Parts: sequence; C-alpha cells; structure tokens
Amino acid sequence: MTATPKPTPQDTQAYLPDFCAAGTLFIIVLVAELVAIVLTLAAHNVQGQFLIELSTTSFFVLWLALLGSAVMCLLRDRLESAGKTRAFVIGFIVLEFVCLALSEFSWQLMSYFGQSSVIDDSHNVFLLRTFAISSIVIALAMRYLYISSEWRRSIVIEAQSRISALQALIRPHFLFNSMNTIASLTRSSPEQAEEAVEDLSDLLRATMSSPKDRSTLKQELEIAAIYQRIEKLRLGARLNVRWDIDELPMRARIPNLTIQPLLENAIYHGIELLPDGGDVVVTGKRDGDDLTISISNPVAEGKARHTIGNRMAMSNIRQRFELAYGNRGSVDVDDSLDRFTVTLRFPVDEGTT
Amino acid sequence: MKVLIVDDEKPARDRLRQILQDEDDYEVVGEAGNGHDALSLAAERKPDIVLLDIRMPGLDGIETAHHLNTLERTPAVVFTTAYDEYAVDAFEARAIGYVLKPVRRSRLAAALEHASHLANSTLRDVASRANMDGRRQHVSARVRGELKLIPVAEIRCLLADQKYVRVEHEHGQDLIDDSLKSLASEFSEHFVRIHRAALVAVDRIEKIEKTTDGKSRVVLRDGSHVDDKELIISRRHVAEVRRRLKES
Repeated sequence: MTATPKPTPQDTQAYLPDFCAAGTLFIIVLVAELVAIVLTLAAHNVQGQFLIELSTTSFFVLWLALLGSAVMCLLRDRLESAGKTRAFVIGFIVLEFVCLALSEFSWQLMSYFGQSSVIDDSHNVFLLRTFAISSIVIALAMRYLYISSEWRRSIVIEAQSRISALQALIRPHFLFNSMNTIASLTRSSPEQAEEAVEDLSDLLRATMSSPKDRSTLKQELEIAAIYQRIEKLRLGARLNVRWDIDELPMRARIPNLTIQPLLENAIYHGIELLPDGGDVVVTGKRDGDDLTISISNPVAEGKARHTIGNRMAMSNIRQRFELAYGNRGSVDVDDSLDRFTVTLRFPVDEGTT
Repeated sequence: MKVLIVDDEKPARDRLRQILQDEDDYEVVGEAGNGHDALSLAAERKPDIVLLDIRMPGLDGIETAHHLNTLERTPAVVFTTAYDEYAVDAFEARAIGYVLKPVRRSRLAAALEHASHLANSTLRDVASRANMDGRRQHVSARVRGELKLIPVAEIRCLLADQKYVRVEHEHGQDLIDDSLKSLASEFSEHFVRIHRAALVAVDRIEKIEKTTDGKSRVVLRDGSHVDDKELIISRRHVAEVRRRLKES
C-alpha cells in the first residue's frame, strides 16, 4: 500500500483511526467477514447452501465495508477538525447513507439481471433490514473507536504529565542554585546548611518516589512549604509567601505536584525579577463542593510574562486537571493587573486512602 | 588584583568571598546586590575584575557588563551562572570567562586568570546566541567621572555631535560614547532615523509639520529645548518616518 499516512504530531490526538492505512483496512475486512458469517449462520439455510449463502452475504458486506472505509478515508481530515462528538455523529450518518445507497444499488442491479430471487424480501423490507443491521454494527464499531481513542489519549496525557512533573521539580536552575547556597552556608551557618540538605532531600524524595496520581492537599502544601524554605535561604527578605489556606480541607485529594510548580513559577518569573522582591500570596477557598486555590505574584514592569517555561508548566497542570476532573476542574490565568494569578478550581474529594 | 562581586543572592556572594579570601592574589574590594550598585561601586573602587551574576532583577549581568565598558578604567568580567545552557555555549564560543554555580574553588581561580575585557559587540552577540534580550534598557554617560544611566524609555532623541552622541532625555541632555549607527541597530524598534545625524523616539513624536520653505519637520511632545533645525526630516527618510508613525 502506497498511501501511508503522514506522521503528523496530531496523530496522538486523533479520534478516528486512519481508514486509508493497510492495517486498519485489514481489520475492517476481517470484522466485515465475521459479520457476514454471523448473518449467514443466523439465517435459515437450505441444507448444503451455506457456502453459497455466505458468499453472497460476504460479497455484499465486504463491498459495504470497503466503500465505507474509502468514504471515511476521504472525509477523515474534515471530520477530525469538526470536534470529537461531531466527528462520530457525522461519521455514523455518512456510513448509514453509504449503506442505504449500496443496498438500493444492489437491489436495482438484481432486478435488472432478473436475479431478485437471491434476495427473498420485498424492496422495502430488504432496505429496512440492511438499515437495521448496519445501524447496530456501525454503532458498535463507532463506540469501540470512541473508547479506544479516549483510552489512547489518556495514556498519552498521563505519560506526558508524569515526565513533566519530574522535570518541573528538578529544574536545573533551582537545583544548582540550591547547591550553591548550601555550599556557602556550610561555612557561615552549618545548621542552616544541614536543614537545607534535609529539605532538599525531602523535596527530591517527593518526586522520585514511585509516581502516584493524587496526593492530599496536606502533602502538596507541605512540599510547597519545604520548597519555599529553600528558596527563602537564597532570596532572603525579597521572598515573602503569605499562606491563606485555613478554609481548605487538608484531606482533600489533588493531582500531585501542582502547587509547588506554581509557587516555583511565581518565584522564578515574578519575585526573582524584582529588585526588592515581593509577596507571593496563596489563597485557598471552599465553596460548597468546590475548592479554589490561587497563587499570585507581583510582576516586574516591562518583563515578558509568558516565557516558554511558564507556559509549559501551565499546560501540564491543565492537562492533568482535565484528566482528573474533566470539565469539573479548571486552571485560569489572570495577568490583567500588576499581578500574575493562577487559579485552580476542582471538586472536593475527601475519599479515604 | 581587586575583585568586585555582583550577585543578587547573598549566599552566592558569600560563597565567592569565602573562596577568594583563601587566595593570596585577590582582594575583594566590594559586593553589590544589583547592577546599579555594581556600577557605582565599580566607578568608586576601580576593580580589576568584576564577578557578575547573569540573572539579576533590574539591570541583568549582560547589560551591567555593557555599562562597565563606559568606565574610565574598564574592568575585566567573569560571569557566574547556575544553569544557562545557551549562555554557556555562547561563552565557550567567544572564550569569555564564566563560572558555574555551585562555584568550585579551582574553577574560579582558572576563570579569574582568564578574565578579559569584553567589547559591547561581543556582549550583544552572546546575548543573541543565548536567546536573551540583548538590547539594553539604559544608555550610559560618564558625567564627571561618575557613571550615569539614562533609561531608553526616557530618551526623546539621539543626535550625532562630532565625536559623541548627544542624548536628549526627560531630565536634560548628556553625551555618550556609542556610535549613532550601533544605537540605531540596537534600538531600531524604539527610534526612527530622520536624517543622517538624528534618531527620534517614535512614541515621542507629536506630528510632522511643513516648514515655510516646504520641508518636513518632526514636532516632539515637549521637545522645547531641541533646536527646530535639528528635527528637519531629510527627503530620503520622510516616507519611513511617516510609515513608523502610522504603525505606532
């Protein structure tokens, strides 16, 4: 097969399989043949006529499958751009249409050659039967494709988020700066150096231990507090973090490593660029079944706010929130005033673990 | 050798001082926590070498190095950085002295040996290679031995004046050493050339008017002490000035 699909980066996000690819086509033919066998087995066969019956049914079903694949192959790009649910609904309708058209065509062909005896039913009953059978089969196939595309997507998102969760914490800049601070403190203030080493170890342990999806707010806030202590050694009076989090239920669950990277962003892109530093404010609110946590930092005048690193951390957290909460969670960014604020919103989940 | 330490983080400055105290050949003559303090300390104490952190708030290390070049006695520069992959590549390529944090004793001594005077063009080149904004946010003038930084945002126009460039800004006028040509390319987004010897800040132009003898002239907002004759647009540049004015 020459029509190999172009490997686009979107492929991981595609909802529909590539109907032009040889592999997909093979599976479609296989499934079509199985359907033909089931249909023939289920029908009342005249003894000894099984293979003949099977061949007529196969002929029809295979035509239908191949024609449907060809149409889907042509329409795929447009369907993909229409959005997920629409793509499946339109795909279903188009395939039904193809099916009816082919049935009509074969009926006409039979009557033209005077072979209508091959089909026992009257015209309308024949069309209705094909329509009903194909609806069920196509709907099942669509459902299967939908679920498998969702499954593929969630695997990709999960893998990406795990990698970037690791990268987010061990930002080389942070690690080397901390090491430099510790090297300096070993002489001037050995106790502080000792604490810094312990803090840094705790922080690294939190990311390097076996990865898990969720942790509790208590753990997340602890990690963020440890991180803040290390940065405080380095930045001194320039860094001030205000925690206003008494409303938050500490047992509530949250995707792990979400608060610390946001605090890190606030320091790296905000405080570090201000000669006199400033306040990072972490606010937690509970509103019925919803929690909001916002982290805001002052912004240096005239500095670009949307650096690449910042965007990456943000889209990573966004993805993980989508995975965990669907549309019940959100990550909003507000940089309209002289502060940069990220707000996390998600439902309370105080489940036991 | 006299060394000035510049870093916005105190522990980082302490670390460098600790190491240098053990070396016989070097004497720390001062510490600064930001670029502005670094420049005034450098003018006052005349260090031979400046140890400069790259990532600092306000004036960053690269821009500070630029302005150090304006001093009467230009010090040699060694950059310090925690992890700037690109900057480090750029330093390697131009044989510029640098030390990585955490600072290693032996590495610092070696870097100090190789500390060198950096030309502005080299610094710009490094900045662009390192994906940093190499454009300065200030120009520097030497006023009675002191270094004076003039924010680019406060400049009305730059006029070539024999050997020097005259800077007309919100708080008066000063002479700087840079050439008009290099200023034009460094700040091309901010200024437009109106004739061979003048660059005008686009956002300071109020309008373009016709003189009685049919020439075009730029009218500045509050440009009272700039001589009108200096703001006549040469015929070659009229179209460009109008275009830039329209865009803004």
